[in-house]
Amino acid sequence: MTPSPALALAAAELRRVTRDRTFLFFLVVLPVLVILLVGVTTAGITSIRVAVVQAESGPLADQLVQDLETTPALETHRFTTRTQGVDALRRGEVEAVVLVPPALDADLTAATTTRIPVLVTGDVQSGQAAVTAVSSVVARHGATIQAAQFATAHSTRTFEQNLATSRALQQETPATPVRTDVVNRKSNYLPLGYNYSAPTMLVLFVFVNALAGGAAMIQTRRYGIFSRALAAPVRPRDLVLGQTLCYFSLALGQALLIVLVGAVLFGVSWGDPLGAAALIGLWALLGTGAGMVSGTLFRTPEQATAIGPAVGIAFGMLGGCMWPLEIVPEPVRQIGHLSPHAWAVDAWVTLLSRGGGVADIAGYLAILAGYAVVLLLIASLRLRRSLVTP
Amino acid sequence: MSPMSPVLAIALKDLRQRLRDRSALVLGFIAPVAVAALISVAFGSAASFHADVAVVDLDGGPVAAGFTTFVNHPDLADLLTVKPVTREADARSQVAEGHLDTAFVIPPGFSAAVTSGQIPPITVLASTDGPIAEQVARSLAESFAAQLQAVQLSVQSALRAGAPHASAAALAAEASTLQPPEQTVTQAAGTRALTGTSYYAPAMGIFFMFFAIGFGARGYFLERTGGTLDRLAVAPIGPAAILAGKSLATFVYAAASLGTVAVITSLAFDARWGPPPVVLALILSLALTVVGLTALVITVARTERQADGFSSLLTFGLVLLGGNFVFIGGAPALVRTLALLTPNGWALRALTDLAGGANWTAALVPLLAILAFAVCTGAVAFVLRRRVVAR
Repeated sequence: MTPSPALALAAAELRRVTRDRTFLFFLVVLPVLVILLVGVTTAGITSIRVAVVQAESGPLADQLVQDLETTPALETHRFTTRTQGVDALRRGEVEAVVLVPPALDADLTAATTTRIPVLVTGDVQSGQAAVTAVSSVVARHGATIQAAQFATAHSTRTFEQNLATSRALQQETPATPVRTDVVNRKSNYLPLGYNYSAPTMLVLFVFVNALAGGAAMIQTRRYGIFSRALAAPVRPRDLVLGQTLCYFSLALGQALLIVLVGAVLFGVSWGDPLGAAALIGLWALLGTGAGMVSGTLFRTPEQATAIGPAVGIAFGMLGGCMWPLEIVPEPVRQIGHLSPHAWAVDAWVTLLSRGGGVADIAGYLAILAGYAVVLLLIASLRLRRSLVTP
Repeated sequence: MSPMSPVLAIALKDLRQRLRDRSALVLGFIAPVAVAALISVAFGSAASFHADVAVVDLDGGPVAAGFTTFVNHPDLADLLTVKPVTREADARSQVAEGHLDTAFVIPPGFSAAVTSGQIPPITVLASTDGPIAEQVARSLAESFAAQLQAVQLSVQSALRAGAPHASAAALAAEASTLQPPEQTVTQAAGTRALTGTSYYAPAMGIFFMFFAIGFGARGYFLERTGGTLDRLAVAPIGPAAILAGKSLATFVYAAASLGTVAVITSLAFDARWGPPPVVLALILSLALTVVGLTALVITVARTERQADGFSSLLTFGLVLLGGNFVFIGGAPALVRTLALLTPNGWALRALTDLAGGANWTAALVPLLAILAFAVCTGAVAFVLRRRVVAR
């Protein structure tokens, strides 16, 4: 049985496009690398990073540094000099620098009040979250020392003896417990790490690659493949359908690859299978439409490969692929929702962070379907016109 | 005729040709500025953390009142806004809906329990979307708990050390007036906060500048296919002059691209790049690196398609590794170290330091590293030049 002309044309175009190794790099390797990089970088955002510079070792100073290092709220990085700590602060690697004073042990033993400088960037209002977390550790560390100093003042025993007693007492009578009660389990954000980078980069890359794929379509036109195909008993409709099928399978293939790599290599959970499948399918269709519009809009392949990705990245930024739209001002969030990306990311948030199913994202899917239909319609009409117009 | 003329003529011809190409204009000038504008709109200013909180006092005793006073302390005014909420259910719903970042619930009988020993917990009501607010709230509650404990431990330690039991009440009164022996004191480090725009304007500028590698390399192969190079070879111009002319065009285009981004984002979007002479030196050294990389691609590639592929690999490889896509300060140490294998990673380090208020000397080592990269790539291209001649 002879295959339908549209299928044969799609297969031929697909073979031609996938022979290009650069195209395969952008299709396969780059998205995976970016998912890895963004995932690794965002994974540590939930803890407060501080630098600790300890000038001199001593039992009390060592204990303070150890307390800072074992506090769950803090991620500590040790530096040997103040300059190194300040460099890390300037570069945004830490939010505050704790300078453990050289005379800490001597001062505390001598019952002198000690100040522990915490350096923050800019004016002193910034880094307050880090300062609060450090202050809490210092307060806990200071409790036994205060008790030992007090006992030394009211007895004949030494500071060291009283410190041992107050530490033993601290074990017997723990401080007022503090418990956390998380009142809502459904988040408005994607979880950080790979669960954030994989779905957002799927949205970004399928669209960017589809736009860049417009270049291949222009190349096909330039090679005269369309004209030659039309010399055969092939209708323009079949050609348009063939092109659509080819680029849809590329977009879908890339999306499925990201899903697979995300799940296998990075342990990403993709949520409700039906909802995820519908979202991915529609997004691939929408990308196909955008790519075909790019293929009919630009005159040279260079224009498509240059301008397409720039437009795709800008849409990705507006639509919340690079940062959550929850953190930008309201007007920017609204403008962002002019891009289909914002609706796709919203749908992923519903699926992955709120445990939603296909019914919960039906509204988003309808909007994305609207975008896809309009783009495919424009692309088909423009392509068909370019085929039938000599 | 001076020997500079053919070099200049070739460079000017290349530049004219490139500027006629709309994609070069878009990638070199419009896209980086547009992306920087988007980033500047999204992150208007460097926002420091602030939380709206509530204290639900179900105890009504003096210790709970002490906690309310503690969180209302003027030192915490920049960090917290304490809102009046009296019922726990209201606090829960307000945290769940995002009207409050977090809330403290002081349980009934809390004040009485502090003296008896069996203290019920202070509850921090948190939202799943506010991990930092939760940590700050926990830290505050734990600080307060540590102060309470310090008083209790002081009395108990004194009694264990031999103070008479009859004096317990007096000891407690005295201990409650004590200042903590060690306290943090916040100081300005002399650094400036790095805004999203100040990081991503150069990051995106360098990313789009690197597309010049592709333009230059592809242009060379197109000219070779078109026979222009053969015709030039017939003219009384040495291969060195042709190479110099083409390199000059790439250098000027790359420097103009990043330079324009620097000027526009500084003036229009308040991006901080650093002292102009140092920034200029960084831009020029990066443009030299682009020339070196372009020469390298031309010597290694054999066809236009290969040149295109190698340039893309180089551009995206370098910007991924160098930290142009993600804020490198937030990345793990290994990723930050790997970034320094790239010229753009060094450039971003220098520009980040300068934007953060560092002295211009902070750019010296990065400048040398970038120049070393330019020299190395240029040298490799020179060693491999026979590959080009042999074709």
